[in-house]
Amino acid sequence: MKLVRHFAMGTAVAAVVAGWSGAAMAQETLTAWFTKGFYKGEDDALLAVVDKFQKATGVKVELSLYATEDCVTKSVGAVDAGTPPDVGFCTTYDFRTTGKWAYDGKLEDVSDVIEPMKAEFQPMAVSTTFLMNGKTGKKSYYAFPVEQQMMHITYWKDMLEEAGFKESDIPKTFNGYWDFWCDKVQGAMRAKGKRVYGIGHPMGIAASDTFYSFLTFANAFDAQVVDENGKIVLDQPKNKAAMVEAVKAYSNIFQRGCTPPSSVNWLDPDNNVAFHNRTTVATHNATISIAGKHMDDMSNQALTAEQRATAKKNYEDNIRTAEFPLKADGSKMTNLAAVKTAVIFAEAKNKKRAKEFMAFFMKDENLRPFVEGSAGRWVPTTLKAIEAPFWSDGKDPHRAVVYKQYKDGTVPFQFVYNYNFTTVNAENVWAKAVNRVVQDKIPAEQAVDEMIARIKQIAG
Amino acid sequence: MTAPLAAPREDASAFTRDRAMWGAIMLAPYVLVFAVMVVYPVAYGLWLGLNWNSYRALFADPIFIRTVVNTIIFLFVAVNLKFLIALMLSGFFVQQRPWIRIVLVLFILPWAVPSIPTILSFRVMLNPENGMLNQQLFQWFGIMEGPGWLTDPTLAFISSIFVHIWKSLPFWTLILITGRLAIAQDLYEAASVDGANRWQQFRFITWPSLATLYVTSTMLSMIWTLGDFNSVYLLTGGGPGDLNHVLATLGIRYMRNNNLDLGIASIIVAMPLILPMVFVMVKRLSKGPDA
Repeated sequence: MKLVRHFAMGTAVAAVVAGWSGAAMAQETLTAWFTKGFYKGEDDALLAVVDKFQKATGVKVELSLYATEDCVTKSVGAVDAGTPPDVGFCTTYDFRTTGKWAYDGKLEDVSDVIEPMKAEFQPMAVSTTFLMNGKTGKKSYYAFPVEQQMMHITYWKDMLEEAGFKESDIPKTFNGYWDFWCDKVQGAMRAKGKRVYGIGHPMGIAASDTFYSFLTFANAFDAQVVDENGKIVLDQPKNKAAMVEAVKAYSNIFQRGCTPPSSVNWLDPDNNVAFHNRTTVATHNATISIAGKHMDDMSNQALTAEQRATAKKNYEDNIRTAEFPLKADGSKMTNLAAVKTAVIFAEAKNKKRAKEFMAFFMKDENLRPFVEGSAGRWVPTTLKAIEAPFWSDGKDPHRAVVYKQYKDGTVPFQFVYNYNFTTVNAENVWAKAVNRVVQDKIPAEQAVDEMIARIKQIAG
Repeated sequence: MTAPLAAPREDASAFTRDRAMWGAIMLAPYVLVFAVMVVYPVAYGLWLGLNWNSYRALFADPIFIRTVVNTIIFLFVAVNLKFLIALMLSGFFVQQRPWIRIVLVLFILPWAVPSIPTILSFRVMLNPENGMLNQQLFQWFGIMEGPGWLTDPTLAFISSIFVHIWKSLPFWTLILITGRLAIAQDLYEAASVDGANRWQQFRFITWPSLATLYVTSTMLSMIWTLGDFNSVYLLTGGGPGDLNHVLATLGIRYMRNNNLDLGIASIIVAMPLILPMVFVMVKRLSKGPDA
């Protein structure tokens, strides 16, 4: 009898355990890899979306957050090995992999998700996800435009005043603008015996800041590199001449000693560091992360009350975010925008749920807190989110400039039209040309000839 | 009469078979480790390097020829300068005085401490704006723009060579000190009695005794220097403007750009430099001390 009782008990326990594990095994899962946010607000917003999605669908989202570089490296390895996650969003995909993956047929066509919501996006932002698939020979939507960044000028207003100038003294013309920081501001600071540089001017080969800044200079001279079909047009006389001017203008700032000499070796954080250290009066930088650092410090309880007060003063009064000057021909500067893309992989195990998740994530009520969680570092891609008070009320001096730039309109990078430009940028042919001029002292014309030859080798 | 003679032969062959079997069993772990740790990685690397398109792309990259030239200059200047200095310093440190021993301990420190913090500290010291060197030039002499230790291509290359020598000099000096200590003192005493001066003693006693060690060490150092990634990458990142890459850093740059094939190819192209050195070195060592 005892044996029977034990057997019955054991069977019941086994049945419960089996039931539980069966239920666990039956729960549908979705794997998502994201870049870990720079601010807690980003991660919190993302976790809230995941939580809402799980509750709404019963699908378990296995979310992994990776550091910026790890995220893309791990994704590339997983795609090569045929074991990608279902959803991937790394903030450097656009610069490095999205276009190539789309071309190689590694991404799922997400037109059925994008098309119904297409009108909600800034047209340029959504157009950057309309990519060529080399296998089908057709363009289609292969990514989601989650958020974007733009190029800005940042300067110390108090240093400018120390040099004896007012903000209204800053010229608007392209050459006059750089001359002002170079000769007048730096000159005045040097006259006071201060070892300060007018401009933090990224020149390092390994810095994405360099090609972002340089390509903004190229836009200032209307140097078109590719057409919308991805065909290289830089060798056309008009574009080549414009590129020569861009190389000269970019090199000139270094040649005149207006940027710290170490800027030739700068990596991405170095122009920020030089600015924070007040080694430079102004710098150009993608995103408003420089001001953002001070905003973050304002509420950082690890700092002293005095340090927090200084950070507040810096963010609200001393540091200014500004637009680039006018183009060389006097017209409005083009804002080069990098649209950060999320993707669903062609070899994903759960593509159906991945599409559901991305459709859910891209809804305004979910996407907006995620983008705003970055405290202005990333800019919305949707028309509605940019009109939120966070951007449009004009209360924040830095975000107000970003809002204006957004409204002025943006243009995409060349890699949207020809994915090989991710390699061109990674190799940084732009910085190489500039360095050939400033280091090897060759004429800008020769450096541009070399640049064109190399671009044709890689992307022609 | 033949049967008793046959038995020892069978025993002998069984013994030989047993020895061979035990030999194979004892050797098996080493063969396995060698296969896994040496043969497989080398073969896999070579297999990855069999993509001829990678070599075409590598040779088409304008930076490549410059990198090869840099590598050759780096090898010959850094290694020869290092050994010349090591040879001289070994003569100094071989002296048996207490204070020299203390100096020797300090001298060895750069080699003993890890590369990353030491080379990065050089990077900070040589920074043109905030580095200690140029800051002192500014404070003492009012020089606003000191030398571009890491930003001028020539100076940056010289700085990389300097850091490489600074880092590895103690090791090779120690090797040459041990070589000098192995020379019998009687020879020097006899030479001294015969009226030989310091130079003659070096020329006819020290150098002939050290020559094999010196040449072999030089070749070994060349092989290691060819693979030295730290001195260049940590100091300048191959810059400014990718102008100062050597083969070891170029490979890493390609891999950072997710271009594994080119990274492998840039390492394999160094084989024509490495293999003859390895061959000559092994040949010299197999001939013994009089080679």
